[in-house]
Amino acid sequence: MVMSMKQASREKGRPLPSSLFAAILYVVMFVIYSINAPSAITLGGITDLLNNTIVLAIASAGLTLIILAAELDLSSVGVIAVSNVLVATVSTKMPAGTIGSLLLVCLVGLLVGLVNGWLVAFLGLQSLACTLGTMIMCQGIALVILDAPGGEVAAFIMNRLTDTVFGMIPVAGLILAMVVLAWLLFRRTRFGIAIYAVGTDAVASHLTGIDVKGTKLRVFALAGVAYGLAGYLLSAQTGTGDPRVSNSFLLYVFAAVAIGGTSLGGGRGGVIGSVIGAAILTVMQKLLFAVGVADFYTNIFSGLIMVVAILFGNLSAILTLHQRMPLTRHGDHGYSAQ
Amino acid sequence: MVKANVSSLTPILQATGVHKRYGATVALDDLCFSLYPGEVCGLLGENGAGKSTLVKILSGIVVPDAGEIALEGQAYQPHNIVDARTRGVSTAFQELSLIPTLSIAANLFLPKPKVNAIGLVTIRAIEELTETILKQYAVFDVSPSTLVGDLSLGLRQRIEIVRAMLREPRVLLLDEPTAAIADREWLFGLIESLLARGTAILYITHRLDEVRRLCKRCVILRNGRKVLDAALEDMTDDQIFSKMAGRSVVETYPIRESNIDEAAPPVLAAHKASAAGVNDVTFRLRRGEILGLAALEGQGQSSLFRVLAGLVPLKGGSIEVNGEPVRLRSARSARATGIILVPEERKTEGIFNDLSTAANISIPIINRAARFNFIRNRKERQMVERGASRVDLNSRYLWPNINALSGGNQQKAMLARSLLANPKCLLLFDPTRGVDVGTKQIIYQVIRKFAREGGAAVFYSTELDELVHLCDRCLVMYRNAIVAEVRQEELTPHLLLSLAAGHKIDAYGTA
Repeated sequence: MVMSMKQASREKGRPLPSSLFAAILYVVMFVIYSINAPSAITLGGITDLLNNTIVLAIASAGLTLIILAAELDLSSVGVIAVSNVLVATVSTKMPAGTIGSLLLVCLVGLLVGLVNGWLVAFLGLQSLACTLGTMIMCQGIALVILDAPGGEVAAFIMNRLTDTVFGMIPVAGLILAMVVLAWLLFRRTRFGIAIYAVGTDAVASHLTGIDVKGTKLRVFALAGVAYGLAGYLLSAQTGTGDPRVSNSFLLYVFAAVAIGGTSLGGGRGGVIGSVIGAAILTVMQKLLFAVGVADFYTNIFSGLIMVVAILFGNLSAILTLHQRMPLTRHGDHGYSAQ
Repeated sequence: MVKANVSSLTPILQATGVHKRYGATVALDDLCFSLYPGEVCGLLGENGAGKSTLVKILSGIVVPDAGEIALEGQAYQPHNIVDARTRGVSTAFQELSLIPTLSIAANLFLPKPKVNAIGLVTIRAIEELTETILKQYAVFDVSPSTLVGDLSLGLRQRIEIVRAMLREPRVLLLDEPTAAIADREWLFGLIESLLARGTAILYITHRLDEVRRLCKRCVILRNGRKVLDAALEDMTDDQIFSKMAGRSVVETYPIRESNIDEAAPPVLAAHKASAAGVNDVTFRLRRGEILGLAALEGQGQSSLFRVLAGLVPLKGGSIEVNGEPVRLRSARSARATGIILVPEERKTEGIFNDLSTAANISIPIINRAARFNFIRNRKERQMVERGASRVDLNSRYLWPNINALSGGNQQKAMLARSLLANPKCLLLFDPTRGVDVGTKQIIYQVIRKFAREGGAAVFYSTELDELVHLCDRCLVMYRNAIVAEVRQEELTPHLLLSLAAGHKIDAYGTA
């Protein structure tokens, strides 16, 4: 079980959680960044960094759930695009636009997630293929809603969500803390445990009585809601609608999960790692800018750092592989006499 | 034999006319049988006879096409395993339904572990409960928070059994419960206490001695049909085997016409070899010899095999092949010296799931059938058929997906694959596990023939009888070290058992 994993690792000297290595890397990168850009450690700098992190963090948190259940999901950018143009078109026009548009994007995410989940769990389709379909479809819908960049996001969303509360706590930081807290509780629920079980071995899960299809459906639905939220927060930052959210964002979502040490095979990892992964990717861009890497070279460096980050994030797994020991077992006392 | 406490003659479970087909194959044909409270009913049959299908139907995983089942007089049509469980039918599956990434505690209480008021699973509470349960079921030395994936196969099987018993079932289905357990008395003890409570147990196994020990009555299936439902007392082993196989197959062992070449340098020798899980192991395997290895679960046999197959690096000592020291850095380098492992877990370490049987056999040597890297189908076919004939694998099994084959035929394919590589030394890790009687005979013959023709084999088995009858010599491992070497004349199950359990017997203790 998730939490007893920690206990067991201490007892047995099992490797530390992979998110720890990612966290160390983040601290190192942040220190280098703040040396090169002193404004980084001001409240404004931190708020700015968190604002830049949060969209990727929440989208990758959603994807993490999917990958833990041993599926794949490309629809995140599609949902984000639809959410973004929806917020940009309706948040200023409807009454209670802040809450209303929030509910709306969650609903859209839920709907797309349910469609994905139904296709994957109940029709048995390949998740990679059909979420590719829903992603493209969502991008098309976004273009129909808003055919060119524009629109307007309600001022309340723009100002409040990117600001601080009580003049000292960035809202984005608060949201991130809530996501992490929610995850810590969630992974201890039956649903949370079922995700790990299904991702590890769907056949065995079925034999133990876990509702494999239902679990997958709910995982896709929950991830959809996360993407919707990510789109909402993106709108808060850009203040405008853009139907063409960059597709490269999708790769960053996957990279964040990979850096966080969640196994693409399913059943191993967690959301905290992915959040740290997202933070690493964000600070990386800032860092490259701060140290003044010329534009042409940015991609080379960011690619390089990404590989290093993934290496770091999976350091514990790599270390285990090399010192893997066929464990000696106790427990048996005798052949039965014939 | 366990005293069955047959309290009444009304069956607790009664199946009539149960029928199930998968596509063109009939898995169960018009099956009628009953199960009485307080009895252990043996269910026998070769692989593919329909035993697993019956288990799946009774545990709610598969819905029969026709037929009726009554449980305690009421219609019983479970739609899923939870359904079956609530009606009091619980199952310990052969393929083990445990989740390796979850703890023992979580596994015991899946799918609905206890939660607190806000829906969080109460880890500490279920771990404490697990602690008590494990004690109660005599599973010691293991912490409830241990991940199942870190347990030996034998312990995993125990957990699977404990979980099935935990639900205090009215009907308990045990599918090959001793496949990986060396200490069968543990299970037999638990079964007796369940019988005292009036539980009905359906016991599926390949091992006749277990059936004799536990059951008064047994049901034999062949090709999906019930061919026998009778008291065991009046039947000889031969009669039972012939019912199962439809022909007379007694568990016999090929004559041991050893052809050991004393003069040649040993095919495989270890000198003070040590590695993770292996302590100071020294032995010599000569040409033409079958060297047995007896050990209880987790005494280092698996590590030793891995070291010899190049999967685990050697930390100290040396290994020699044909008298020359070698460094086995990988399975590939071990293969290059002629050492081939037939692994323990056929499903995960042996077969390639989505390939045909033929491809499974030819994969390591496919280069021999290729010209300019393109595979010549005819050459491959010839190669595979040659291999299949050596292990008596019917060529109609070659082209379908290996998934579709029974465990016995899969194991034959694994042997064919190993033999085609022209090994000098085979490392056989429990090659007859979960394999029907007929296939066992063939496996024995194949190993014998291999040795007679100048090969050498290290043979580990959980069945002591096999070691006694097949091996030219037998080593005993205990706590990661070799504690004794027993000569052929002195091999008895009893001696091996006591040595493997760590009893020192003066004449044999080498320590």
